[in-house]
Amino acid sequence: MPSIPEEVAASTGQVRIATGGADHRIAWLAALAITIHIAEGALPSPLPGIKPGLANVVTIAVLVQYGWSQAAWVSLLRVLIGSLLLGTFLSPTFLLSASGAAASISMLGLASRLPGLGPVGYSVLAAMAHMAGQFTVAYFLFIRHPALLHLLPVLMTAALIFGMVSGIIALMMLNGLRTAHS
Amino acid sequence: MTRADVLVVILAAALLAVLYAHFWSAPTLAAQVRVQEGNQPPRIYALDQDRVIRVRGPLGDSVLRIRHGRVRFVSSPCRGKICVHAGWLSHAGEAAACVPNRVSVQVLGQDPRFDAINS
Repeated sequence: MPSIPEEVAASTGQVRIATGGADHRIAWLAALAITIHIAEGALPSPLPGIKPGLANVVTIAVLVQYGWSQAAWVSLLRVLIGSLLLGTFLSPTFLLSASGAAASISMLGLASRLPGLGPVGYSVLAAMAHMAGQFTVAYFLFIRHPALLHLLPVLMTAALIFGMVSGIIALMMLNGLRTAHS
Repeated sequence: MTRADVLVVILAAALLAVLYAHFWSAPTLAAQVRVQEGNQPPRIYALDQDRVIRVRGPLGDSVLRIRHGRVRFVSSPCRGKICVHAGWLSHAGEAAACVPNRVSVQVLGQDPRFDAINS
């Protein structure tokens, strides 16, 4: 991009924001997460609300490698841009997705303070929090029916299984990265 | 996987067990049955005593049987026999009625699951 002298930039009202290495990394990894998110959106789901959530592999890997705030950015950008691309922005689906992401990223904030946890533990906690957050919003905002509560154990079981799967994938990926770098 | 990871998975599984126990526990079993005939005041029978109840309606006698904590219409002098086909009622809130003979039964529990159903 040709650089514009500062006084010209100021007169044309152009604003430049300096971006650092972390910003670029977040953008790349968010792009990866969004790609997985959208590819997964094309898969058929056995039950509404149940899907593998493989994009969280990226979130977990970022959490382990670069810390919580970058993981939160990747998660936030994925939900926002993913919904824009899928056309669900501000729809109920988006609201559920956003509440799940908010719950899981808060849970990861707490979990990253605990000692000894690895990708699998993070992923399981994130998946369970994601489902619990999503379910709470679905119950109180959309369908406040006692019958919905019967679904909760099934949904949480799915969350545990998919959380473990994502966690193991993240673990393998991080191990692969480590051996590649050394 | 670290030891903490294993602990998280075990705790998550324990949470699931609690959820299943809490939300999938058997619905409240019935304790009593309320039998109503026409505009008569309803009569209530306990379901822990086996018995046969005859209820006189405008068409004749409807026969109810209570057995092993359940109740059903055995016979009724109506044409459709919808009440008889309703079979055994065992859960609180379940009901059957012989509309032509103006007899209805509803199973009551300590904790009724629904007090009204819109359909």
